[in-house]
Amino acid sequence: MAEPGPQRGWFVFGFRGFAEPRGGGARRVEPEPGGIRVVRPAWSYTGLVTGRGRLALRGWLAGALPGHCQDLLPSESHVLLLRGATLEAWARGKGLCAGPAWRWPLHPGEAAGPLPLAPGGYVTPRPPFLCPLPPALRARKLVLGHEHAALLGPAGTVYTWGCGRHGQLGHGGLEPVSEPRLVEALHGVPMGDVAAGGWHSVSVSEGGDLYVWGWNESGQLALPSKALAEKRPPAAASVSQPEEPGCGAGKAELKLVSHEAALGAEAVDFISIQAFPALLDLPAGSEVSKVSCGSRHTAAVTRKYGQLGHNETASSDQPRQVGYFPANGLTVEDVVCGPWNTYICAVEK
Amino acid sequence: MSRPSSPEGLATSSCPAADQVSAGNTMWADIRALLPNTKEDLKLDFSEKVEESVISLLQQARDLLYGAGSLCSGSTRETCLQVSEIIIDYSWEKLNIGTWRDVDKDWRRVYSYGCLFKVLCMCSEQGTIAETIRVCDMGLLMGASILDNILVRIINVLQKHLTYGKRSAEEDTKESCRKKIRNDHTTVPSIKSEEVIPRLHCPSLEHFRDNYMIPQKPVILEGIVDHWPCMKKWSLDYLRQIAGCRTVPVEVGSRYTDEEWSQTLMIVNDFIDQYIVNKNSIGYLAQHQLFDQIPELKQDICIPDYCSLGEGEEDNITINAWFGPEGTISPLHQDPQQNFLVQVIGRKYIRLYSPQESENLYPHETQILHNTSQVDVEDPDLVKFPKFERAAFQACILTPGQVLFIPVKYWHYVRSLDVSFSVSFWWL
Repeated sequence: MAEPGPQRGWFVFGFRGFAEPRGGGARRVEPEPGGIRVVRPAWSYTGLVTGRGRLALRGWLAGALPGHCQDLLPSESHVLLLRGATLEAWARGKGLCAGPAWRWPLHPGEAAGPLPLAPGGYVTPRPPFLCPLPPALRARKLVLGHEHAALLGPAGTVYTWGCGRHGQLGHGGLEPVSEPRLVEALHGVPMGDVAAGGWHSVSVSEGGDLYVWGWNESGQLALPSKALAEKRPPAAASVSQPEEPGCGAGKAELKLVSHEAALGAEAVDFISIQAFPALLDLPAGSEVSKVSCGSRHTAAVTRKYGQLGHNETASSDQPRQVGYFPANGLTVEDVVCGPWNTYICAVEK
Repeated sequence: MSRPSSPEGLATSSCPAADQVSAGNTMWADIRALLPNTKEDLKLDFSEKVEESVISLLQQARDLLYGAGSLCSGSTRETCLQVSEIIIDYSWEKLNIGTWRDVDKDWRRVYSYGCLFKVLCMCSEQGTIAETIRVCDMGLLMGASILDNILVRIINVLQKHLTYGKRSAEEDTKESCRKKIRNDHTTVPSIKSEEVIPRLHCPSLEHFRDNYMIPQKPVILEGIVDHWPCMKKWSLDYLRQIAGCRTVPVEVGSRYTDEEWSQTLMIVNDFIDQYIVNKNSIGYLAQHQLFDQIPELKQDICIPDYCSLGEGEEDNITINAWFGPEGTISPLHQDPQQNFLVQVIGRKYIRLYSPQESENLYPHETQILHNTSQVDVEDPDLVKFPKFERAAFQACILTPGQVLFIPVKYWHYVRSLDVSFSVSFWWL
């Protein structure tokens, strides 16, 4: 008799857009026939690609969906789909419109992806949909923030461009950059992954070290945030936390945070904008395997025990273990952040 | 305005919760009276830049507001509050993408609507008037005018119901003795005869235009603001009284070219307490359109007649408030418009360099600071900036009642010598 395979499923916590109830603790994502292969969250809805290549949209969106999909990029105005040998952008209204507003057939032999990478450049889920990139870059991965972009080159180099007003380009200043520019501060340390949040950027070295830069107004860089220090209540007892079952480790770390607040805000150097990449000291010397960024938060999966450490919007500038998964006998394998939520793929141990 | 009888109108029965305190009752009624009669009158028209998902949230909040029972039931108020917060948080992100100039005005209106709905939820419940005013102010500071500037009118109602503890007369005398407006201990810079800026008493429009505006020469005008109410009325106590609970942007740090410089928001009472009365560090309420936010203060000032000599419309004149302790510094910089700098309280040391001297002033090369000189005017590094020494300049100590004309792109450096309040008029 064959052993049953490990139960693998997706969980989500945070803003659920327009489904009831809003916000709250971790919930299972309803499975799809064939399993959920790809999770791409937008703000008011999430796009899923099933193991059978079917596109499913959950949240504030309804209507007939085009079939046979490999990947998608959702935005509030459009859904950009990779279907077979074509890239298509469908305009959003209350449902999807009758046909694609934009199509880009791929030439034979051309492949797109991982999205947003496409032949000749990259795609965005809003006009002009296709942006060129210098071919010499040979990007492995490309990620988009609200007003900047970052890409991972073949040798593990990181390039950034766009608006730099919040330090998200990592070149040390606040000036905008129009073409992809090498992040010099990381040169020499090969990166394995890169992620972009609304106004911040994160990269993971091949050795599992986490580098952060950009805006820290909600503590998303896990660096001391003045705004949070001013909001923190003085007594450990009154520190609030979201409803997360089995948050034993989390509570202990919360106590630590309150103690530091008691030392006084003057004892700490607050960081509002980090214009050069900073190496993060994660608890217990964990190595990071995967990272993802939301609009104003960051989530990382650590290798050793599969813990998930994340910073919640407006409440913590300290990486905090999410106790839900070890408490329920689950190992975290992947994380994908939406703007205001976090999706986790976890498997029973 | 007759009270509506249709079910789509605002609930006319008093809120059960507010019945407990009659003051709360009249406040909610007064605020309700400011809103459009019916749901359909509260139009939510936006360009297609504002996504349907967001519009559905605005409609949901509006439906809750005008629905049966209005916001009196705890659960509808709770839901409306949640929806308002989502609208505020999402539009806040839009306001922080790209440069402020490029932010679509409709997103600023969405932000204001979010604040409005949140304020209405807060009003229908007793006890958070100061916090409610703060939310209105966020809508005014970051949003754009909606429903005929309804947030300003709501603040007027809220302020009437806000009672802070009356300060004793003794406290008032103590504070005024401790803090004389004129600071006799500051070293006042000396001004050489060749640097003096000419002073004129009430020149004719033509004389000003022909001798200063057209040739673009600085001049100090005297006697032209004597009749402005601000000259007699403004004091720390008066400002606390009119605007004490209002939120304003404050620059913290010695000057905006410093690394430790930052901007923050605080209410006027706290600004006066922390940065004017007890000076531990420099805080400056600078370059803020205070008079749009607080129309009552606008009644204390006028527009200088000489602005009519310009080509622009009076509506396009930008009026900024500059209020801070002794020692605030604006580094040497230039602005793209003509400026009348009206000194109301305290004295300011000001140095002016002609645009022709720009080469000797070493402007920053970055886009953000290209209108600012790298040189510290009163302590220049002549090794790093040797040409600065040969730049010709004019200087003055601007005193209350004087108005300085700063021509377009004229470089200016300003340091306050006392607690100071200036009003600037940018015109073309």
